[in-house]
Amino acid sequence: MRNVRIFYEKKGRMKFVSHLDMNRFMSRLIAKSKIPVWFTEGFNQHAYMNFAVPLSLGYVGLYEVMDVKITDDNYPLEKLVEALNTVSTPDINFVKAAESVMHTKEIAFAEFKLSFDNVNAEKINEFFANESIITQKKTKKGGIKDIDIAPLIKKAELCGNELTLILTAGNENNLNPSLVMTAFYDFCGVDPDFYDVTRVMIYDKNLNKFE
Amino acid sequence: MDNKEFERLLLTVQKPGRYSGGEINSVIKDKEKVDVRFAFCFPDTYEIGMSHLGMKILYSQFNARDDIWCERVFAPWLDFEEVMRQNNIPLFALESRDPVKNFDFIGFTLQYEMSYTNVLNMLDLAGVPLRSADRKDLAPLVVAGGPCVCNAEPLADFVDIFFLGEGEEVDLEVIDLYKKHKAIGSTKAEFLREAAQIEGVYVPSLYDVSYNEDGTINAVTPKDNAPAVIKKRIIKDLNNCHYPENFVVPFIQIVHDRAVQEIFRGCIRGCRFCQAGFIYRPVREKSAEVINRQAKCLCENTGYDEISISSLSSSDYTELEPLLNEMLDWTQQNHISLALPSLRIDNFSEELLEKISHIRKSGLTFAPEAGTQRLRDVINKNVTEEEILSTCKIAFEGGHTAVKLYFMMGLPTETDEDLKGIADLGQKIVDMYYAMPNRPKGKSVSVSMSVAVFVPKPFTPFQFEPQISKAEMERKQAYLKSCITTRKIDLSMHDSSTSFLEGAFARGDRRLGNVLELAFKKGCKFDSWNECFDLEKWNEAFLECGLDPNFYSARLRAYDEINPWDHLDYAVSKGFLVREHQTALSEKTTPNCREKCSACGANCYGEGVCFEKR
Repeated sequence: MRNVRIFYEKKGRMKFVSHLDMNRFMSRLIAKSKIPVWFTEGFNQHAYMNFAVPLSLGYVGLYEVMDVKITDDNYPLEKLVEALNTVSTPDINFVKAAESVMHTKEIAFAEFKLSFDNVNAEKINEFFANESIITQKKTKKGGIKDIDIAPLIKKAELCGNELTLILTAGNENNLNPSLVMTAFYDFCGVDPDFYDVTRVMIYDKNLNKFE
Repeated sequence: MDNKEFERLLLTVQKPGRYSGGEINSVIKDKEKVDVRFAFCFPDTYEIGMSHLGMKILYSQFNARDDIWCERVFAPWLDFEEVMRQNNIPLFALESRDPVKNFDFIGFTLQYEMSYTNVLNMLDLAGVPLRSADRKDLAPLVVAGGPCVCNAEPLADFVDIFFLGEGEEVDLEVIDLYKKHKAIGSTKAEFLREAAQIEGVYVPSLYDVSYNEDGTINAVTPKDNAPAVIKKRIIKDLNNCHYPENFVVPFIQIVHDRAVQEIFRGCIRGCRFCQAGFIYRPVREKSAEVINRQAKCLCENTGYDEISISSLSSSDYTELEPLLNEMLDWTQQNHISLALPSLRIDNFSEELLEKISHIRKSGLTFAPEAGTQRLRDVINKNVTEEEILSTCKIAFEGGHTAVKLYFMMGLPTETDEDLKGIADLGQKIVDMYYAMPNRPKGKSVSVSMSVAVFVPKPFTPFQFEPQISKAEMERKQAYLKSCITTRKIDLSMHDSSTSFLEGAFARGDRRLGNVLELAFKKGCKFDSWNECFDLEKWNEAFLECGLDPNFYSARLRAYDEINPWDHLDYAVSKGFLVREHQTALSEKTTPNCREKCSACGANCYGEGVCFEKR
């Protein structure tokens, strides 16, 4: 049995599919593709799948990661990508499958690209220059707490109408670009007017590609 | 509207997956290369509509033809409707996102009366005139099918064509005729006149209805050579009839999120309250071999890990044991769970029982429908108290601790004694549980009882019967509640207001079209949803139209009265319904179709259970 990491793109109409629905979608895709995945052996048996970092509804993802276990050691990984693409929709495009190198715990950052309709470069640059950015975040228990997101922003760079953000990601600490934009709105009172968020890459703590 | 703007709006509403389209197996075609575009509309939410098997069958069948592109349309939920109206987004089809008003056909499936306002709301959202007479052009044609068509008179002013019975053949015949007329540039009237000649096609505008002074119908008179009686269509050979190899697999979770395999149509039982048991006659089965092949194919193409067999009463399938034996083999191998809704398993072999025991158990459900044997005889529901108790006992011994029972109140001849019988039956199950020495240790029993209000429906022996008044419904509900003395019984009852309105529309005539339109204009929609239903508005609408809902629902109808649906022929004769009604009143049961033919008239097709060797 091998641990196999599958990389795919989630785009187009698929961005309206929530993480929970992605789970169901992928398990059906795997069933259709007939790739020899390992099934859990409990009462409710299902194909084992693990998603590295969930993607918010409405975002495009170009470096999405899903782990499965393959029971057939001789099953060629190129064939796996092909088998999945044959049964998938073009909006979920499988790019690569490989033995996993890193542990998902090592994920530390994610890079996003945000495109704006009308950009206010001055305000944006002023905003990201702050040493501390206090904003309110909903906690899992339903409360609201103040957090400082400035230390969680590794990089913020505006180029034309496109803002690149490298934000802390992973299980322990995760910063969502929409929270950054909410904070921006609170900061300057200008609607950021963004429509398109794309997660382009996931990194470890040294900004190495997650593999 | 451009896609970017549209998609941004989608992100402002709940469950954008309802409107995004792009699901696996959804069909995309080049619109320049098709002759006919068909918008298949389900007048309720995506989650409900996508669970409907009829839509899946016709979607797949229409799209199998190169010259037709059939797309899906659902009623937008309140939040998205607001967004659509604010941003002038017309009702669109999910696949192409093209406005429905540019289609050739706008087809509705009418599954329940309480969805009628949604039909009007969807036409309004589409920007199409509501009334058939106001739509002058040939396209779009508004057509409708489904069980409610057996009395769709309340929608007669809005719909151009109704399809009676099963749609697989008649729909395509009408589409072909349309193609011909579109090519030669016919008017809508010319097309409708010729369409009315096709068996199973009902063009309501070709019939004049006159009324007596007391409000009952005097005559229904056909015009332009339309047939005096319109006969429903059936598929004679289900084995060679189109069945989807593929379902559109939704992204968001829907009500029945699984593969569904039809095993037969119709029902042999003839329960007298059940419209489905009459309008889908005669019973026609698929062979076990065909079912097995289709089911396998469906699972492979959808990736679903659950499949359910579907029919009105699966226990009555003649080849059930060999079928389940086969299906259990491949489903278990492929980690697919097989759902067997409402199956009686008392006469199965040990081997099959052993196989079934591995299936994940769902709840234990019974539908005795009435509380006493006397009333169960009246409604011809052949379930005895003994059977219920003995099955519960086996289930309790097997570790179950919960059962669910379905009942109706307001059935013909019902007395308080019968209502008390509902409570008593629940109590007997509870008592039996605690009398069992080998009951599951340390666990309490739970008996859920759900009690709906009976609504008399056309083409049933109870079509002549009055529905009980709203006040009486409420009295009965209170009385039943007072009969229950244990907390082990969980009683839930339907809202009496919706049943009351359903009763009026089920047997209404076309004058109700005005009420419907007015109620819609007052804001009525999603009437089957508690959070939307507003009886006040409906009462206002009836009052302003000068009509009384009780005239339609609360009146005993004479056998010789002309009912609004009497010019439709669903293969069960009125004479048979009268006989059945009288047998009911004398508290006698009628044997099922396999035991003895009761000459309902469904043998006219020369197919089905009527010709099985007995």
